[in-house]
Amino acid sequence: MLKLVRSNELAVGQIATHFPITQQAVSQHLHVLERAGLLTERREGTKRLYAFRPESLDAVRNVLADLWPEALERLKHVVETAKSKKHGQTK
Amino acid sequence: MNAAEIVKATVRIAASPAEVFPYLVDPSLIVQWIGTWADLNPQPGGVFALDMGDTPARGSYISVEPPDRVVFTWGIPGNEVLPPGSSTVEILLKADGDETIVELTHRELPSEMLSTHQAGWDECVEKLRQVAGT
Repeated sequence: MLKLVRSNELAVGQIATHFPITQQAVSQHLHVLERAGLLTERREGTKRLYAFRPESLDAVRNVLADLWPEALERLKHVVETAKSKKHGQTK
Repeated sequence: MNAAEIVKATVRIAASPAEVFPYLVDPSLIVQWIGTWADLNPQPGGVFALDMGDTPARGSYISVEPPDRVVFTWGIPGNEVLPPGSSTVEILLKADGDETIVELTHRELPSEMLSTHQAGWDECVEKLRQVAGT
């Protein structure tokens, strides 16, 4: 479902044609995904249109983009510090 | 299948890969550079659990190849974008003279796996099915 709406905004009926379940069930799935913050819902007359919220993945990406370089710098520091201590002891 | 990269990071360390490797698989050593608590069982399928303050990261080791490569899955319980097992972290230790170049790549799982095979996501889909009563 997420894949379907990743690049296009689609109406519930259009999404439902891709699944072997009732449109009502599809609609409930979409509502759960929307509440989880993965989709946005927009109403156009009686139609409800769903689109993927790219910010949800971007937010995670931003956290990881900070996390890993900082962590690796700490790894460098602890390994090099441990090594120089060991070196000092063997002298 | 092409897994999208989320983040790539690298660092050069003045030590050999064999000296760096224990820091990727030993709970008492890994917490010196990431996280505040760890439970690690470094063998394929073994647990990879790390708490970073209030944020837990959960997954399992996929590949443990001393002294130069480790791959584990990574996710955050309760996070719909990145549930446990929904991404992988590969750490390569490349010897360069007396030093080591550490290359870390955090990847999404291929969307095909997310939608059909991946356990965490399947569980989520199953929950949705139950909620939807189908």
